[in-house]
Amino acid sequence: MSFVLSLLIVLPLLAAPLVYAVIKVNKRMGVYASLAISAVVFAVAAYVFWQVYATPPAPGQYLLQEKYSWISFSNFGLNIFFGADGLSSPLLFVSALLTVLAIFGSRKLIEHHEAEYYALIFLFEGAIIGVFTSLNLILFYIFWEVVLIPMFFFIGVWGGPRRKYAALKFIIFTYAGSTIMLLGFLYVYLGMMPTPSFDIPDLAGKIPAALQYLPLLASFIGFAVKLPLVPFHTWLPDAHVEAPSPISVLLAGVLLKMGGYGFLRISIGLFPTASTQYAWVILALGLFSMFYGAAAAVLQKDLKKMIAFTSINHMGFVLFGAYASLVIANPTVAYLGIQGAIFQMFTHALAVGSLFMLSGYIQHQAGTREIPLLKGLGTTMPRTAVILVLASAAAMGLPPFSSFLAEFMVIVAGISASAYTAISVLVPVITAGYFLWMIKRTVLSQAEGGQEFHDMGWSDVAAFAVYLIPLVVLIIASYLILTPALPVAQFLKGLT
Amino acid sequence: MVEYLTATVVLLGASALFLPLLQLLRSRGANISGYVLALVLAAALILIGLSTLSPSPVSWAGTLLISDQLGGVFALVTVGVTLAVTVASFDFQKGASNPVYYSLLAFTALGMVLLAYSQDLLMLFVSWELMSLPTYVLAGFDKKVRSNEASVKYAVIGAMSSAVILYAISLAYGLTGSTQISVVAQGFARLLSTPSPSTALASVAVLLFVAGFGFKMSIVPFHMWIPDAYEGAPTTISTLLAAATKKAGFIAAIRVLLAITTLYTLTKSPFFTLANVFAVLALLTMTVGNISALTQKSMTRLLAYSSIAQAGYMLIGFVAFANAPASAAASLGLTGTIFHVINHAIMKGAAFLAAALVLFQLRRADLGAYSGLGRRMPITAFTLAVAFLGLAGVPPLSGFWSKLLLFLSVAYGPFAWLALAGILNSAFSLGYYAWIVKRMYIDEGESTERVKEPIWYVVIFAILVGLIIGIGLFPQEVINLASAAAANAFG
Repeated sequence: MSFVLSLLIVLPLLAAPLVYAVIKVNKRMGVYASLAISAVVFAVAAYVFWQVYATPPAPGQYLLQEKYSWISFSNFGLNIFFGADGLSSPLLFVSALLTVLAIFGSRKLIEHHEAEYYALIFLFEGAIIGVFTSLNLILFYIFWEVVLIPMFFFIGVWGGPRRKYAALKFIIFTYAGSTIMLLGFLYVYLGMMPTPSFDIPDLAGKIPAALQYLPLLASFIGFAVKLPLVPFHTWLPDAHVEAPSPISVLLAGVLLKMGGYGFLRISIGLFPTASTQYAWVILALGLFSMFYGAAAAVLQKDLKKMIAFTSINHMGFVLFGAYASLVIANPTVAYLGIQGAIFQMFTHALAVGSLFMLSGYIQHQAGTREIPLLKGLGTTMPRTAVILVLASAAAMGLPPFSSFLAEFMVIVAGISASAYTAISVLVPVITAGYFLWMIKRTVLSQAEGGQEFHDMGWSDVAAFAVYLIPLVVLIIASYLILTPALPVAQFLKGLT
Repeated sequence: MVEYLTATVVLLGASALFLPLLQLLRSRGANISGYVLALVLAAALILIGLSTLSPSPVSWAGTLLISDQLGGVFALVTVGVTLAVTVASFDFQKGASNPVYYSLLAFTALGMVLLAYSQDLLMLFVSWELMSLPTYVLAGFDKKVRSNEASVKYAVIGAMSSAVILYAISLAYGLTGSTQISVVAQGFARLLSTPSPSTALASVAVLLFVAGFGFKMSIVPFHMWIPDAYEGAPTTISTLLAAATKKAGFIAAIRVLLAITTLYTLTKSPFFTLANVFAVLALLTMTVGNISALTQKSMTRLLAYSSIAQAGYMLIGFVAFANAPASAAASLGLTGTIFHVINHAIMKGAAFLAAALVLFQLRRADLGAYSGLGRRMPITAFTLAVAFLGLAGVPPLSGFWSKLLLFLSVAYGPFAWLALAGILNSAFSLGYYAWIVKRMYIDEGESTERVKEPIWYVVIFAILVGLIIGIGLFPQEVINLASAAAANAFG
C-alpha cells in the first residue's frame, strides 16, 4: 500500500504546530521554514500529479489508494480511504502550488499574529488536500468542515474593516450548506441497507435511482454554496473584500474548487441518474451564474470585488461544462465538457490567484483598490502594470493562456448540448470587456501629478511568473491535464 | 472485580467522613484536604478502571449493586469530573471551611459511584440522596445572596424530584412486591399481558420515573431550575452539576426506565408509547435549550442552556431503544447515548471550568468579558473554543461521533424526523458557539493585558482538550467501551 497521499495530508498538519513554535522564537526563520515545508509538500503533490499522468487509472479506478479501518461497530463501519485520479491530481498540484505562493506573498502583508497565521495556513492546506483525496463520504465531510475553521479566522483576524461581519457570514453560509450535505450522505448510507457504505468507489453506479434525488438536492446545496452559484454566492464578495490578499488567493484558487470537485465527484459521480434528469435546471443555473458574475463584475469599482465576481463567472463554467456533458448524446463531445470543467478549475486557480495577489500589492503600494482612483499605473508602477495586463489576459481567456482552451472546451460542450446554451459564447466577451475597461482606466490612463509609488521588486515579479508560466505551458502541453481527465470523463459519462 | 469497588467505596466514604477532621489542624490543614481528596479520587479512578476491565456482570452487596461495565463507565465519568472539580478548586477554595467543602465533594462522589452500580430501587434512591444533598450545600457555598438563592431553589426542586421518584418506587413495589429492578420490570410486563386497573398505575409509575429523573437530566419541561442554579452556584460546583450529577440522572434512567421498556410499552394505545414520550421530550429539550442559549447574556446561563440542549441529543438514544428494544438501532442508539455522556462530561467540564477561571480572574460572567479573551487568557480561550466546537458537533472532535451515532440510530424508521431535528439543532447551535469563539478571537477586548492562568487549570485544560481531540481522531476504543456498557443495559 502506498502512503504518499496520507503523507501529503499529514505533512502540513504536522507542520502547523512546528511552524507556530518556530515563529514564536524567530519570526524570520519561521517564515522561511514555512516556505521550505510548503515547497516540500508541493514536491510531493507534483509527484502525485506526475504519477497520475504517467499511469492514469482506468475509469472508476484510483491511484495510490490507501484504506484503513477507522471505526467498526456492529453494522456501522467507517474507513480512512484515500485515492487520486485525474480529477483530484490537478487540484492537488494547484493547491500545493498556491499555498507556496500565498506564503511567499504573506511575508510583507501579514504584520500581526504571524505564528497563528502560518500555522492556520498549514491546517488549511492539510484539510483541503484531505477533501480532494478522501474516498469516504464521512472523511470527506470532516475535511470539508475543518477547512472552514482556518478560513473563519483568516477573514476574522487578518481581514479588513468589516472582517467580523464577513467572517460570520462566511461560516454561517458554508456551515449550513455542509450540514445539509451531510444529511444527504446519511440518507444514502441508510438507504443502502442492508449493505451500507460510505466509500465512494463502493457507491458509484450502485445507488438505485429512487434514492438519488434527495441526496442530489442536499449535495447540490452544499456544493453550490462553495462554488458559489448564484443565488448562494452573497458570502463570497464580502469574504474576498475583507480577506487579506494571500488568503483571497487560497479562497478563490483552492476553496471554491471544493464546490466544483464535489459536483463532479459526488453529485454526478454518485447520483448520475438524478443529475441527468435535472441537468437542464442545473445547466440553466450555471449559465445564469456565468452571466450574473460577469455583469456584476462590470459594475464594481473595487478591483478586488471585481475579481471576486469574475470568480463566480468562471466557476459557473465548471458547473456548466460538467452538466452539459450529461445531456450530450455524442460521448466524445461529452467528454470535452467534463475535461474542460477540470481544466477550467486548474486555470482559474492560477489566473484569478495571481489577480488577487496583485490587487493586494496595489492596495499595499497605492493605498487604494478603487479602480477610478488608480491612475497611470503604466508610468508609476510599470512592472506591476505589465503583470496586471498579463494576468487580466489570462483571466479573460486570451491565448496563449490555457484558460482560453478550457473555456473553449466548455463552450463547445455547451453548444453541443443545445442551440440555446450557445449563448454562453457571450460570457467571455463581457469578461474581456470589463477587464479591458479596467486596464484602460488604471494602466493606460494619465497619472496624476505628484504620485510616487514603489514598484514591485524582481522577486515578486518572479512569483507572478510562477502563476502565469504554467498557464502558457499548458496550452501546448494540455495533455498533462486532459489525458488523466479523460478516464474520469469516460467514467462519469458512462454512469448516465 | 468487586474487591476493587469495595475498596473504592471504603476509600471515598472514609475521606468523606474524616476530611473535616483536618480542620483541627488549623492553619495547614485547610490546604491539605484538597490534595488528599484529589489523591483519593485519582486512586478511585484507577480502582474503578481496573474493575471495569472485567467484562461479566457480578452482583455485589447481595442484590443491591451490580458490578458491570455500564456502571463502570458512569462511575469513571462522574469520579473523573469530581477529580477535575477538586483540582480546579485548589486555588479558589481557601479558607477555614475548606475541609468541609472537600468532604461534601467526596460524599457526592460516593453517591454517584453507588448510583452507577445500583440494581435495586431502594439502593438507587439512597445513593440518589447521598449524591444530591451535599450538592445543595455546595451550590450555596459562596455565602452570597445569589448563591444562597440558587441553593434554595435547587434544594426545593431537588426535594420535589426525590419525592416523585420515591412515589414511583412505592407504586412499583406495591404493584410487583419487589424493589429489585429486574423483578419490577418483569412484574410490569405481566401487568400488561393481563389488563387490569393496575396497568394504568404502572404507566403512572413509569411517567413519574421519567419526571423524577428528568429533573436531574435537565429535560424540558423539568429544566427551569437549571439556569438559576448554575448561575448562582460557585462555577466549579456548576461544573459538577452539569458534567457529573446530570450524568447520574442518566444512569438512573438507563437502569430503571430502559429495563422496563425492554418488556413494557406504556399502554396499548399506539400513540402513548414510551418511545413517543421520549421523542417529544428529546425534541423539546434540544430546541428549547438551543433557542434559549442563543439569547443569553451571561456565560453560565448560556452553558446551562447548552447543557439542556445536549441532554436532548442524549435522549435520542432512549427513543431508538424504546422504539425497538434488542434491535441493531437500539444498540447503536444506546451506545451513542453513553458515548455522548462521556463526551459531554469532558466537553462541558472543560467549558465550565474555563468559565469558572474567567469568573475568578476577571470577576465577570457576562459575555462582554469574553471579548478579546484569546489574547488575555490564551490557554483558557483555546480550551473554550475546542470545547464549544466539540459541543456543536464540528468534526473531527469527539462530539461529532457521538451525535452521528445518535442521529443514525433513529434515522431509519418512524423517528427519522428526530434525526433531522437533531441535525438542524446542531447547525443552529453553532450560531451561539461560533459567536463566542468570534468574540474571543476576533473582537477586541477592553484590555489586552495578560491574566494569570494557574498551573492546575492549565493541567486540567490540557488533559480535557487532549481527550476531546484524541477521542475525535481515534474514537474506536471509546465506542467499544460504550457499546460494551450498552450491552449491559439489555440484561
